[in-house]
Amino acid sequence: MKPVTVKESPKSSITRKITLLAVAFCAFLPAAEAAVSRGFTRLMDAVVRIDVREESFDTGARRFTAGIGSGVIVSADGLILTNAHVASPRAVELSVTLASLERVNATLVGWDHWTDLALLRIDLAEVKRRGLAFTHAEFADSDDLFPGQTVYAVGTPHGLTRTVTRGIISNNRRYFADNRGVKGYETGLFNTWLQTDAAINPGNSGGPLVDEKGRVVGINSRGYLGADNLAFAIPSNIAKKVVAGLAANGAITRSYIGIVPGALLDLEGFYSLKQNTGLLINSVDPGSPAARAGLRGGDIVLSINGAPVDGRFPEQLPPILNIIASLPVGAKVKLVVKRGEQTTTPELVTEKLESRQGEEWAFEKWGLTVRKVSRAYARENQLDDDTGLLVIGVQPGFPAAVAGLDRGDIITKINQERIASLEVAKKLHEAFVAKPAPTLIEAESDRRVSLYILKP
Amino acid sequence: MITALRIHFFVLGIALLATAGARAADDVPSLFQERVKSVVAVEFFTESELDRRPTVSAALVADANGTLVLPASAINSYVPPAKLKDFRVYLPGRPANDYAVGEYLGQDPVSGWHFVRVEEKLRASLVPVTAFAAKTTSAEPAMGEEFWGIGLRGKDEDFKPYFMASRISLVQSLPERTGIALAEVAAPGLPVFDRSGVFAGVAVGGFGQTYLQYSRNDRGLPVMLMNTDESSVFQLAAAITPWLSRVPANVSGRPIAWLGAYALQPMDPEVASFLKLGDQSGCVVSEVLEGSPAESAGLKNRDIILAINGQALPRFKPDRVVVTYFDRELSARKPGDTLSLTVLRGTERVEIKVALAEQPKLMREADRTYFEKLGFTAREFVYGDGVVRRVKLAARKGVVAHFVKPSSPAATAGLRPDDWIIEVDGAEVKTYAEAVAKLAAIEADASRNDFVLLTSRGGETAVLRVKLK
Repeated sequence: MKPVTVKESPKSSITRKITLLAVAFCAFLPAAEAAVSRGFTRLMDAVVRIDVREESFDTGARRFTAGIGSGVIVSADGLILTNAHVASPRAVELSVTLASLERVNATLVGWDHWTDLALLRIDLAEVKRRGLAFTHAEFADSDDLFPGQTVYAVGTPHGLTRTVTRGIISNNRRYFADNRGVKGYETGLFNTWLQTDAAINPGNSGGPLVDEKGRVVGINSRGYLGADNLAFAIPSNIAKKVVAGLAANGAITRSYIGIVPGALLDLEGFYSLKQNTGLLINSVDPGSPAARAGLRGGDIVLSINGAPVDGRFPEQLPPILNIIASLPVGAKVKLVVKRGEQTTTPELVTEKLESRQGEEWAFEKWGLTVRKVSRAYARENQLDDDTGLLVIGVQPGFPAAVAGLDRGDIITKINQERIASLEVAKKLHEAFVAKPAPTLIEAESDRRVSLYILKP
Repeated sequence: MITALRIHFFVLGIALLATAGARAADDVPSLFQERVKSVVAVEFFTESELDRRPTVSAALVADANGTLVLPASAINSYVPPAKLKDFRVYLPGRPANDYAVGEYLGQDPVSGWHFVRVEEKLRASLVPVTAFAAKTTSAEPAMGEEFWGIGLRGKDEDFKPYFMASRISLVQSLPERTGIALAEVAAPGLPVFDRSGVFAGVAVGGFGQTYLQYSRNDRGLPVMLMNTDESSVFQLAAAITPWLSRVPANVSGRPIAWLGAYALQPMDPEVASFLKLGDQSGCVVSEVLEGSPAESAGLKNRDIILAINGQALPRFKPDRVVVTYFDRELSARKPGDTLSLTVLRGTERVEIKVALAEQPKLMREADRTYFEKLGFTAREFVYGDGVVRRVKLAARKGVVAHFVKPSSPAATAGLRPDDWIIEVDGAEVKTYAEAVAKLAAIEADASRNDFVLLTSRGGETAVLRVKLK
């Protein structure tokens, strides 16, 4: 761009600008330098690149795919925090590249797709044997973050190791839930997210979002594809709890009662509620504890175990759901529920929260890959029960494909035997491998029942 | 002198042939001239909440009373007949502003054909296609035999008729005997004739051909192309001539026989031989519908139907044609008719006697009301709604949002077409009448700021607040 009018001589103008810039730089120099010298250096030594080889079942056979993500070491004994969509139980090989560019193997400690977090443990014996060193990062309190605060994302975007990008906290309490956001698993129902405009690209996943002192405020997780710098991270305060849970038990167990909430917004008048009270139930899962207690869409929960709830805005819903989710499985939940003029106090017993995504398996001789129908999947698709295996891949030319089975079919019977579990099908497949013989498959697709013969 | 006499005899010979009806095979122009009188173009308008959409279809003349037949695809079977307006009948090649008025008579459940009757004034210009029928039952077309038919240009060209011809390459049972020609022979719904002008069948649309599409970015992407104006496939006259007289008794097309066996699927030959059924064909019953004749007769989910009244279901190729065959067998019967079905249940053959009932109220017969201010149409919840939503008979209630006006209060609140409305303002609506009364009161109340709906979509409910001002 050209300057429009210049009163002073160009030279003097430029000189003055340079001077001003220099002054500004001098003023900020001490703080910036301090960050770089201490916290930030320490953090940079704690960030790793993660190379994953994992199995996939979507082509009718067990195949392997490779991916790259980021992670951050969070303990002296080598626990690495990353995303669940980087390191999942499907991983068969995990290797970690330290700040020193040395590669070390790691194992999965546990994962939690609901918060998109996974915990790895570095092979300490190997680290010792090779005389390698690493540091671990510190967490900051993510509740102290404010929109506009400068943050940095560190990671391996597109495989470019040790990349630092800078941005600000765009929103410190973003709500979004995705029913199949982490490799087909649910995510985001029980937490809010940090939104940042620090550039986050594929490969940044699992890397830390840090403050100016290099303290971890979040774990970078996802960005809007095609948008300019709309990226999301899991707040460190949630990550800290998940790390503790995964380190202790290898999994986060949550409670479930089967309500789907909706934001009340300005429905208070309609339900004759005081402002900022109540949680609107939009839907109740059929067969869930809430359904058995007689709850239904349009009911208002006034309190949970005696504590009043306020679900006026979408951002307020995850913490409320988290109250229920955090209860031990089998715990009693006392609700106060308003329906019209009536108020009831149902007592529910929580169940274990399960994913809609069931276990996957490959029947190599049939050229068939399947996923167990879960209770949640059955409910979502209005199936009678969780019987059956969902076909997720068929290999061309193999018996399943030749017979006419296709992705989306649900195998309900094999040789007249009901497929209540993956084990039943595995036994039948083993029998086929041992002594190949025509096998009758009953499968359902969009409620149409068809019969197929798998021929050796 | 001798030469002149010879010519004379020759001319006489042609004249004799013509009067006998078996005209010389190659006199196409005059054959065409006569047979084009059994063909018309029909235009009508489908009225919706916001607009009127015109449709143009070719139609054939079924009888001397001005009865016209339109192919099944001409009208979506969900559209209520009351929304079909302004039927206009055009003679091919006559100026398009010179049309006759038609009346919609309904859809026949067997053929799926739609029937229209044209007003008196045009009938004299029409010749039913049956006038060109074979005098005796003719043999099936031989491979390579030539057939021809008629196509119609667009309205802007006054529906000018044109000639098409091709040769038979294959005859199939789908389940009607169907000729497949090398190239297009007629517009879908229009008649096909043999070389001597004998009515040979009616062209059917919906057959596509697979091509590979090459472009700068794609190497050999398979695409299916379908010529919607012309078809190379025709159902043979012997199979479909009886359908020409199936004029619906009323616009609803009733009576319609109902069994209640949902989503029949073909049994393939491999399965038959695995089940030791040999060459037997069959249909798998996916689901037996609640409250249906099939249910009360004791038909069960997963039964395999093998025979009707002791007659084994024929084997077709492709396998799925057997389902159409079974449907035709049902729809050709009347409510009250009984039939016996032989089914395979597990390894056991079971004989089931079932009395067909009248089909429950169809989507196209459902009552509906458009609330313009609210921005949606409430439609009566009919039997089929319960089936697709897996709702038990006892739990059927409320109304269905049939249409939602874009950017209207209802749309802004999140209402979508096909949402099931269970509650209005926090109270359950049991019947269509109750729902309409409540919604009408809201629409009429100028002081209302908002109202609340409880809806269900895909088995999940949601509370919607519709803001009116």
